[in-house]
Amino acid sequence: MMKRNLEKFAPLLFIGPAVFILLFIVIFPMVYSWALSFAEWNLMRGGDWRFVGLRNYAQALLHDPHFYTSLRVTLIYVILAVGIQFLLGLVIALLLNRPLKRVGFLRTVLVIPTTMTPVVVGIIWRLLYNPELGTINYFLSLFGFRPLSWLGDPSLALPSVIMADIWQWTPFMALILLAGLQALPREPYEASVVDGATTLQTFRLITFPLLLPTIIVALLLRIMDAFKIFDLIFILTGGGPGMTTEVLSFYTYRFGFKFFHMGRAAAMSLLLFAILFVITQIFLKYYRAGEER
Amino acid sequence: MRKHRPKIKTVNWILGIISVIVFVFVLFPPFMLFLTSIKTNLDALRFPPVWIFQPVFTNYGEIFHLVPFARNLTNSLIVATVSTLVALLVGSMAAYGLTRFRFRRAKDLSFWILSIRMTPPVAAVIPIFILLRNLRLLDTQLSLIIAYCTFNIPFAVWLLRSFFQEIPREIEESALVDGCSSFATFFRIALPLVAPGMAATGIFTFIFSWNEFLFALIMTGTRAQTVPVVLTGFIRETGIMWSHMAAAGVLAMAPMILFTALVQKNLVKGLTMGAIK
Repeated sequence: MMKRNLEKFAPLLFIGPAVFILLFIVIFPMVYSWALSFAEWNLMRGGDWRFVGLRNYAQALLHDPHFYTSLRVTLIYVILAVGIQFLLGLVIALLLNRPLKRVGFLRTVLVIPTTMTPVVVGIIWRLLYNPELGTINYFLSLFGFRPLSWLGDPSLALPSVIMADIWQWTPFMALILLAGLQALPREPYEASVVDGATTLQTFRLITFPLLLPTIIVALLLRIMDAFKIFDLIFILTGGGPGMTTEVLSFYTYRFGFKFFHMGRAAAMSLLLFAILFVITQIFLKYYRAGEER
Repeated sequence: MRKHRPKIKTVNWILGIISVIVFVFVLFPPFMLFLTSIKTNLDALRFPPVWIFQPVFTNYGEIFHLVPFARNLTNSLIVATVSTLVALLVGSMAAYGLTRFRFRRAKDLSFWILSIRMTPPVAAVIPIFILLRNLRLLDTQLSLIIAYCTFNIPFAVWLLRSFFQEIPREIEESALVDGCSSFATFFRIALPLVAPGMAATGIFTFIFSWNEFLFALIMTGTRAQTVPVVLTGFIRETGIMWSHMAAAGVLAMAPMILFTALVQKNLVKGLTMGAIK
């Protein structure tokens, strides 16, 4: 009898714990965050919340040029980093997509940057970029170039951070695309050989369309992560020089945990979430359209 | 056939060269970190960089005195292990439930769980910080274990779902007919069948937790500090302690690299399944 009763609630008992935990640690805080975004509350001064309506949003969107600066920095970061990772990753994946010996070893090497702590990646690149003792300036000097202040020069700082991101995530992109390539059916290729198609034609007419769902997912994953970038910026530049590397998540962090304007930080983090949500929806729409075809 | 041979040879050459470039590009930066970690502070600050030097390993011992590195390692290990186990248990049950039981809005529920993973950490960290502060849990290992559930559980559910979907239903149905409860079926039949999936998921959640920085930075002080946070402590007002920071960095990444090499197959499979399905 007991057993029968338990069986009736089986779906609930299986799914319940996960949903309960997620409700508690995600939904409850999210709602809290919403409420907080309409209030002013300084964590340092303590005291109560003061309801301020849409003021936090208005300030971010209408009266804060820095918000748009950091949005622009974020967008440049995402587009350049993910764009280059995709192109390089695709080339590497196409090159590796052949019955090579020791492919396992190559994959192991490729997966190393992906599994590395972003903080360690930051430290490594800070070491390489160091103007006085960095290896990059050393190699440049061998070819007669003058040393550059990679992270200190306002025009170089953002590209330098993007370079580190490219180092860490291009292999990941390559691995996903490689897996996608290896899952493609063989038949269309056999047909294209019979038809005498060139390599480029085969890629454009067969590989690319078939790979498109994988490409969309890979891009989506990386875009989402690149939008949230924090650790690398924290270690490499701290948002500087000036605001040249101040991405949205770093700017929000400063409002919350350096200036303790919790309400404003909550509002900005929800704006960041909204931007991400819209981008995700657009991608998913294309993904579904691609799957139905 | 004969005519094609030189062409294939050239292609192989080009491929070989490109592979070498890629691998030098991938391996050179961590190699430099390792090199710096076995230099004395004096050698580490020398320019042009010295390539041939008397390697020292004292930095590795010294970091345990400069910062509470043993405690940091223990914290990282405990937090990553426990949050992985929680994610595996809760996640596998939810994933199984979502693939096996028919109920209304099952699709919406799956999507909702996935969408949690999209939340930018900086958006989640403010309310979770306040929540844990009110529960007086800040600066404990538990606070990080709880916080890491926000990304580990959705990830585990999503990845394991695709593994459960691959099990033929008949196997479980015969168990149910034999009088097993759904729990017995789950633990005795389904779970062993997705062992590779569990392994891949576990490896990933472990890596995510080991590498996490933002939550750890904000929610821990001295007691529960994890390895990534303590690494930033070598950047001091007086300058960066390069060789010590490098040694700590090597110790932070070494377990992951070792781990990766051991389970390379599962990792790539999990990576790609998680990404593509």
